Order: sequence, then structure tokens, then C-alpha cells
Amino acid sequence: MKLRTRDRLGDILSYAFMAVMFVFFAWPLIWLLSMALRTRKEVFLGVSRLIPKYPTLDNFVAVLTSSQFPVYLINALKLSCLSAVGCLIIAAPAAYAFSRFEFKSKGVWMLGILAFQMISPLVIMVPLYRYMARLGLIDSHFGAIMVYIALGVPMVTWLLKGYMDGIPKSLDEAALIDGCNRLSVFIRIILPLSTPGVASAFIITVIAGWSQFLVPFLLITKDSLVPIGVGIFQYAGTQNASTIQILAAACLISVVPAIIAFLALQRLILSAMTAGAVKG
Amino acid sequence: MSARAVTSKLSFLGMAGRHNRVPSPYPWLMPVILVMGLFYLYPVVDVFRYAFTDLTLLGGEGHYTLSTFANVLTRPELLQILWVTFVFTAGSVIGQQVIGLAMALVVVRSEKRHLFGTTILRTTALIAWVVPGIAGGIIWKMLFNEAPFGGLNSLLRLLGMAPVQWLSDPDVVMWSVVLSNVWRGTAFSMVVMYAALKAIDPSLYEAAEVDGATARQKLFFVTLPQLRPAILVNMILITIQTLNTFDAIISLTGGGPGRATEVLSLYTFNVVFRNYDLAAGSVLSIVMLVISLGLALIYASFLPKDEKA
Repeated sequence: MKLRTRDRLGDILSYAFMAVMFVFFAWPLIWLLSMALRTRKEVFLGVSRLIPKYPTLDNFVAVLTSSQFPVYLINALKLSCLSAVGCLIIAAPAAYAFSRFEFKSKGVWMLGILAFQMISPLVIMVPLYRYMARLGLIDSHFGAIMVYIALGVPMVTWLLKGYMDGIPKSLDEAALIDGCNRLSVFIRIILPLSTPGVASAFIITVIAGWSQFLVPFLLITKDSLVPIGVGIFQYAGTQNASTIQILAAACLISVVPAIIAFLALQRLILSAMTAGAVKG
Repeated sequence: MSARAVTSKLSFLGMAGRHNRVPSPYPWLMPVILVMGLFYLYPVVDVFRYAFTDLTLLGGEGHYTLSTFANVLTRPELLQILWVTFVFTAGSVIGQQVIGLAMALVVVRSEKRHLFGTTILRTTALIAWVVPGIAGGIIWKMLFNEAPFGGLNSLLRLLGMAPVQWLSDPDVVMWSVVLSNVWRGTAFSMVVMYAALKAIDPSLYEAAEVDGATARQKLFFVTLPQLRPAILVNMILITIQTLNTFDAIISLTGGGPGRATEVLSLYTFNVVFRNYDLAAGSVLSIVMLVISLGLALIYASFLPKDEKA
């Protein structure tokens, strides 16, 4: 009897805690949505119009029909998708080698690759900006994509290696005995079997590329080449209180693709993430 | 070229080695080695070289000198920048770790009791985590809007409380920035803590129960000690992430008011790309590297030596 009331009390406390946390995480997003749906007049009414009396989609229309925003979105899509493909091409062979071959100092190589990720992108951008300027790669998507790839490679290598570890080695051995060489084992057997791992690595890299700010902010100055992260930052700098609802709509449009991509593959992404952190 | 021709060409590189030979991993690693070498290793080496010059971004070859080092490390504002960085990092890391752990514990308990809402809570937190830093800054700037219609102040007014100067009061602004960073970062800690909790051997709890342990004793003598390695690894990851945070601050406060939220990464950015002082920025980059490395080593020394959990 006493045990049951204690459990009940625990349940109530759990619910209270979860409710507080839910409000904390959801409030900024609800507020953003609320602002994006308001007319200019209702913006000034604050929380009393959390659900707008005269909701409007005009702000979204204004953003999507403007001359810059669609360009920003396409640029961001191009940069993040191409860099994700590049990442996979570069990381997949290494992941295969780490998963299948035994060689000296393998652990050191793997940790070394991971250790690079601890370096702030800002630190490497200081000299990279100079190189890119000398090579004439400022204001080129190619230069930015190369840096995106470098930033993504360590994680993708680890993710793919982890996935390939789950594919039985006996498959490789059988194919080798049948006369396949290592390259065709990799291309014809391991890569097709790794499709879920490759897909989640691709999505994670696309989301990371979509969120990228520092690299394009430094390397791309021409407005027609800028991706959404930089575009919205510059747009925000020119706005005032009377256009806050349009900024909210633009912000929402920039955030939603990342959220949808994440939710679609949530399970895969989470298991990949935690595998790395929990194994240590 | 046919596939056969490609493979025969590659065979001398070791990529097509037969199973009876020990294959060399290096051709497979080559692309990664090249990319990491060109975009990480070489630039990092160059950062160290630049630090001993007087290079600027305005051009010119510059000369080797030690004075940049001395000059940067004795700048009067550096101490304040480091203090701001420390408060921001410590606040964010402790906040994310504590809230993330609490959420993971409650979610695990609630799942066991079949309570409603755990998935909604987890998904909402994770959505905040996916929001790009720049957008996160813009969203929180709307919430912290100090006008009577701001997202938090109008809420406070509704509850009959006085408005807060979230971004313009130098004593408050740091906590506003930490709050926004905790909002965005906590989901990661929650997910890591959740996975670690699930990995604890249930027989430990059974043994504790046989010994008559209370819920609190189970938490302090079973759960937390078992989580120690995961907590330390998580702290390393989020500390480094927080130290490198840049976009969420530049779009929320831009480092202001004054220098109240100008963390080391933002300061380095300003020195290099606003003042064009490449050499001084390189010295600051080295300071950043040393801090991350030092912290990682300190945390790692707390990890249990024999068990690689």
C-alpha cells in the first residue's frame, strides 16, 4: 500500500518535471511559429495573441517570392548535398579498411582522425581563408564544399566503420574465395549492404552542411552564392521590429528542412551517435 | 575503361590484393589522409608558424617575430575574454549535463511505469538540437526581445512580474546566452545519458534490491558510479563543442553589450576577420587549441584506467 502511494508520488513528480522540460524546449519553437503566422499589428500584442486572431501565410509568401531567399535555399541544398556525397566517397574506403583489415597502429589512426574533430573550425579557417584567397577560391562553391567535406569526414568514417562492423566478415571471405578481389568485395557486397548506414551518414552530413555558418560566411561574399545560414544572418541584421514576422517566417523555413530530415531518420541517427559516445 | 582493367591497374596499389596476401590499408586510407592533411594538419601547422610572424590579412609576406605572442598574451582585454569564455562554457556544460541526466533518468523511469509523454519530450528536445546555431540565435533574440511584446517579457507580464533586460543588462546577458545554449545542446547529453543508463547491467539493481537499498541509495551507489565513464566522455564532447560555439552567439548578441558575451572564439574571429590581424588571431587559435587539449586530458585522467567502458 505504502509502496503504491510512493510510486504514485513519483509519477506525479515525473509528469511535473516532463511538463516543465517540454515547455522549456517547445516554447521557442511555438513562439517562432506564432510570430511567423501573425500580421504586423498582432506582433505587438505579445503573448496574448499566441494563437493569432487573424493568422496569415503572407509572411511565408513574402519570403518564398522574394528575390534572395529561394536562391539561399538552393545554394544551401547544393552545398550540403554535394559535400555529403564527397564525404561518403572519401570516407567509405577508409571505413572499410578500418572495419576489415588488421594493421599496426590502427587504433592510433582512428583516434587521430577523431581528434581532428576537436579542433575548432575557426582555427583551421584562419589559414584556409588565406589559401583560398590565393587560389582564387573565394566566392566559389567548390572551395566551400571542399572545406565542408574535410569537416565531415571524421564523423562519417566512424559512422560507416561502425555500420560495416555489423556486417559478417564471412561474406567477405566467401567472396574472396570465389575469386573476387578486395575492391569488388567492397563495391559489390559491402557498400550495398551498408545502404542504411550510408543513408544515415548522408543525412547527418546534409544536416551539418545545412547548419554550416562559419565556412560560407568567410569564403562566400557574393549574395547570389550565399547559403541560407549566412543569408538569414545578414537579413536579420537589416531588420527592425516592424518586420520581425517576416524574419520569423524565413527562420522557420530555414529550420524545417533540417528537422524533417532528422525526424525521418531519427532512430538510425541516434543509434549511430550514441554508439560512438557510449563506447568511448 | 572496363572494370577488369581498373582492378588490374589498382592491383599494384594493393587495393585488389588477393585474400592470401595481407592487404595494405594505406591505399584505402589515402583519400582521408589527403583531405585531413590538407585541410587540418597543414593549416594547424601553419597557425603555429603564423603565430611567430606579424602577418596581416591585408597582404605582404610578414616577418618572423616573437613580439606578436608577447603582445597578444598581455592584452588587457584577454583576461576578461577568458573569464567570459569560462563562465559561458562552465554554465552551458553543467546545465546540459545536469538537465540531460535528469531528463534521461525521468524518461527511463517513466518508460518503465508506462507514463505518457516520454517520446514527445525526447523528440521536442531533439528538434531544438537540430536547429542550426544561427537560427537558434535569431529565435532566442525574438524571445529575449525587451519590448513589452517580447516572447519572455510578455509572458512575465502575464504572470504579473517585472520585465527583464535579457540582452542589454551586462549582468543578465551571460545567463541569457547560457540559457539559449542549454536549450539547443541538452538533447545530446540526454541521448548519451539515456543510452548509458540502458547499458547498466540490471542484475546490479536486483542485487541492490536484495540488500534492501532505497531508491536514493540505488541512484547514488549504483547508477551514478556506473555512469561515470559516460558522463566524462559526454563532458569532454560538450565542453569542446561549447568552447567552439560561435554562430549561436554572433547571431544572438554579437558579443555585446560591450564585451559581456565575447567568448574566445568570437574574439579570435574579430581579431582575424575584422581587424585583419592574422598573426594575433593565430596566437589566439593556439590558446584555443591548448585549452581544448588541456581540458580533454584533465577529464580523461578521471576515466577509469582498466575498464574501457
